[in-house]
Amino acid sequence: MTVETVINDQVLATAERLIVEMRCGNEDQAAKALDELVRAREVSLFQELGKLTREFHDALASFRVDSRVSDLAEKDIPDARERLNHVITMTQNAADRTMSAVEHSLPLVEDIANVAVNLRAQWQRFQKREMNAQEFRELAKSIDLFLGTTETKSADLKAKLNDVLLAQDFQDLTGQIIKRVITLVEDVEANLVNLIKLSSQKVVPVNNHHDAIKAEGPVVPGVKTDGAVSGQDAVDDLLLSLGF
Amino acid sequence: MKILIVDDFSTMRRIIKNLLRDLGFNNTAEADDGKTALPMLKTGEFQFLVTDWNMPGMQGIDLLKAVRAEENIKTLPVLMVTAEQKREQIVAAAEAGVNGYIVKPFTAATLKEKIDKIFQRIEGGA
Repeated sequence: MTVETVINDQVLATAERLIVEMRCGNEDQAAKALDELVRAREVSLFQELGKLTREFHDALASFRVDSRVSDLAEKDIPDARERLNHVITMTQNAADRTMSAVEHSLPLVEDIANVAVNLRAQWQRFQKREMNAQEFRELAKSIDLFLGTTETKSADLKAKLNDVLLAQDFQDLTGQIIKRVITLVEDVEANLVNLIKLSSQKVVPVNNHHDAIKAEGPVVPGVKTDGAVSGQDAVDDLLLSLGF
Repeated sequence: MKILIVDDFSTMRRIIKNLLRDLGFNNTAEADDGKTALPMLKTGEFQFLVTDWNMPGMQGIDLLKAVRAEENIKTLPVLMVTAEQKREQIVAAAEAGVNGYIVKPFTAATLKEKIDKIFQRIEGGA
């Protein structure tokens, strides 16, 4: 037998007594029964209120225990933003450094190649004995010059290639930073789930109007993007079907 | 021929600039979004536009529409080079009058192929 049934039975008995006493004209007894009824009503009200207060207290307490939420919002998220900005800076610097090295190297290679083509043509003339002594002396001088500049340019090229190699050192650091941010995102996710459970209300999905052509950034492997085509060939096929 | 390269990332602009130079297009200029690009284009000094889609300020698709709406530059060939590859987006770009569409990451060969194709069409149509 539950507490409620006991209370209900008592209330019922008191109510019956009230009717009997009133019929008999015992006003004192009737008033007493009425008082008891009112008191019984108050008791159940207080019980409900007590229950609510306890639930409210528990909810507040568990929220306070999980102070990680405020930590996340106040400290970790801004921190992650800084870290990710740093990743952008590092990758940008690496790309710039690499491209500078390549832009410096390309003319060096082109110069070496151009002079080599020219010398080879002259060298072939010499092999075919189409060259006079004066021309040969010029050729010998050109070859000497070429060997000298090739040596310098090769050293320069080697330094630039090393630079390209070293510019890739960002990968290790950005990798570590991004991994930390992933851990943070998982943490935030877990806390949000707790928060939703705590509020114990059905979360109504916001019906945000979806713009089909809104820019969404690169397609990421493992992340489903509705309606994305699979690459340049698929793009070409689609455009072809549109009459391109 | 003067080409305008529009992308919010300087590294991507630099890559495209180098690739274009390799293809023999030495005369290029850069802008970092549609808003800066449009006044440059309106001067009429560019004969070709290479633009990204996703940029702060004015996006590539809006730049394309703005170009097509501007009387003196409405026939400017526009090549979209972007990471956006949803079917709806490609259709929207085609409807807005894009001349070529390249998805990132791309190769030098793809860039050459698309540019060649655009010029073939222009010459064929003229």
